[in-house]
Amino acid sequence: MKRKGKVALSIGVAASVILGGIMPVHAASKTTVVFSTWGAPSELLRYKQFIANFEKSNPSINVVLQPVADYTQYHAKLLTELATGKAPDVFYLGDDKVGKYVQAGVLMPLNSMLNSSSSTVKLSDFSPSLLGSVTRNGNVYGVPNDVNPDAWWYDKTVLTKAGITDDPATLAAQGKWTTAAYNAMATKIAAAGATPLMAYHYWGTYWAWITSQGGTVYDKNGNFVANKNPVSVAAIATLAKMVQDKTMAIADDQPSGDSSDNQFVEHKVGFYPEGRYVIGTVSAAGSKDSYDIAPWPTPSGKAAPTDVAASFLAINGKTKVKDAAFKFWSAYVGKAGQIFRLSTGGNAVPSIQGVDSIVTSSKYPAHAQTFLDMVHIGYTNAAIEATVPGLSDDIAKEMRAIYAGTDTAQAGLDKIAALVTAAQKKK
Amino acid sequence: MNPQAQSFTPQSEGAGLGVSFKNPGRSPAKKNASWRKKDNYWGYLFLGPQTIGLAIFTLIPFVMMVGLSFSSWDGLGPISWVGLTNFKSQLHDPLLWRSITNTLTIGFITAPVGLLIALVLAVAIQQLRLRTLYLLMFFAPIVTNTIAVATIWQQILRKDSLLNTRVSHLFGFSPPDWLFNPHLALIAVCIVIIWGSLGLNVVIFLAGLESISPSVIEAARIDGAGPVQIFTKIRIPLLSPVIFFSIIVAVISSMQTFDVVYVLTSNGGPQDSTRTLVYHIYDLGFVRNDFGGSSAAALILLVLSLFLTLTQFAFQKRFVHYDS
Repeated sequence: MKRKGKVALSIGVAASVILGGIMPVHAASKTTVVFSTWGAPSELLRYKQFIANFEKSNPSINVVLQPVADYTQYHAKLLTELATGKAPDVFYLGDDKVGKYVQAGVLMPLNSMLNSSSSTVKLSDFSPSLLGSVTRNGNVYGVPNDVNPDAWWYDKTVLTKAGITDDPATLAAQGKWTTAAYNAMATKIAAAGATPLMAYHYWGTYWAWITSQGGTVYDKNGNFVANKNPVSVAAIATLAKMVQDKTMAIADDQPSGDSSDNQFVEHKVGFYPEGRYVIGTVSAAGSKDSYDIAPWPTPSGKAAPTDVAASFLAINGKTKVKDAAFKFWSAYVGKAGQIFRLSTGGNAVPSIQGVDSIVTSSKYPAHAQTFLDMVHIGYTNAAIEATVPGLSDDIAKEMRAIYAGTDTAQAGLDKIAALVTAAQKKK
Repeated sequence: MNPQAQSFTPQSEGAGLGVSFKNPGRSPAKKNASWRKKDNYWGYLFLGPQTIGLAIFTLIPFVMMVGLSFSSWDGLGPISWVGLTNFKSQLHDPLLWRSITNTLTIGFITAPVGLLIALVLAVAIQQLRLRTLYLLMFFAPIVTNTIAVATIWQQILRKDSLLNTRVSHLFGFSPPDWLFNPHLALIAVCIVIIWGSLGLNVVIFLAGLESISPSVIEAARIDGAGPVQIFTKIRIPLLSPVIFFSIIVAVISSMQTFDVVYVLTSNGGPQDSTRTLVYHIYDLGFVRNDFGGSSAAALILLVLSLFLTLTQFAFQKRFVHYDS
């Protein structure tokens, strides 16, 4: 072969190698939708199965999953990607972050697409109480892909060992699951050497405790009023006392080698306000029959509104594959999508109406209906906490000061009120 | 006349380099300039990647950071000029002062204590036959991922950890809650930082000690100096440039403390007792989306680091001896 021929052949081979490496395999015939989320490996496995299923029924769409393990780092990465115009087409947003993204106008308004005849999902499929933080000027910018009310998981083994004969779920069904009944159980559990209550340190826990005790946190206009409500102040004082006398442990503070989950499955904890994902934890431990759920105890025994944690699915306002992104988005949050994601080994409660059987059909936990009841009357994170970055952290810090006894409940709640007021001005 | 033109002939130069010059019309001076030009090109070529990297990852971000410190930006919306507002709000932010206090405390504890321990260890290791083995052991934390180090220490410092409970019971007190007690958490951070930086300092000190001429020590001995006098009057003064270098590095490193407090004490807790200046910058930027405030705090860190380094340089004349 002549020299020129060799050079031409070399260039050809090099070009095909380089282009083969950088060109997407499906570039010619498929539209690629980039989807990003956080999650544990078991959750990501389910998402991958969903994507494979979606791609099978939508052969013209290729979905690329970009997972980030850590929740905080996921949002930091997303922020950077949005700022540089490299953000995914469809992505998750946490309930303490979503408001900021809605306010910044980086998400695609969904009303017109949801109202179109071709949409398989309708806005009316979702409870309006779950859409507060994603609604702005009448437009909806995302919906909860699923939700998780913090039900009071309880360990029957621990209760029995403590000499407790009453069953909290049965008491709840009879309208007798009162704060007094819980306190009596907590005393016995502590005497038996176990931790009566283990809860995560976030808005869900302390605001739910206030509202379950008959207090108010935010008024209808979104103003923080807990510091002006004597019932709310008393509730927080009680919560602080529970932490101080160690009848309540903070799950975040438990060492990673002996996490709150471990302690719960090792029968060291009586009650554990958590979501439906605990099914996976107790199943893996092989002791699921020992557990059931009840709502938060209330002074009267009648269930009260409590927190519903949610993550939202949104579409990038600058996506170049609008139709494909919406198709994937609607499949993900739609009835079929939620049934697929949440049925087998599901870790949450559907956010869409009409598919309650996902939660109840497995008949686990025995009072699984409680999850649904809690969602129907519950509330998601306050709009102001979802909108102003860092406010949730500042509130959590002040709650720590109350727990530590550095501030009284009244002084601490006054400081939180000042933080919220400052955030509202900033907003 | 150019002296080079006289001393270099085409034959001699060409013979020396193994090349021949076919153009006798070109003067040697011009050829020399041409070689130098070629050398310059090679120089630029080799410097290029580093310079481009420096520009992309350091200079441009630095200029942008300075610009952002005078702007308001949440990372999503438009950037607006706010003048000195970020600096004013930062200087009025108790969290900034808490972060500065914590950072300086870490620096003032870890630098002297860490260097003193490293010096003692270096002197001890110098006397050992198996010094390489010991050096490897002390150097291991340097090549270990900081996150892994912090996670392991998190287990060690747990209130109910085996080591914590055994040591506490040995001295007859209840195990301290290193990571959740605001008064102890900063000490725990200092312990981990000292442990983590020990290996590098030992290696540097050992190299410094090895470079001291044995004849100087021998001369001191002949003059009747004892081991303590030799150490304090000979070794330490001769080691002072190395000590000075290590102090500068240790102080600057302590100013940049982030990963340990991010992992070990979970985001600068408890109650901000281990919040450092770099964590404060991260928190403002990536948790609170206040990139203007974050940039202003970063500039404050730069000024603080510069001030501390210049102060150390100002004082070095008093204790650093550069005579061999």
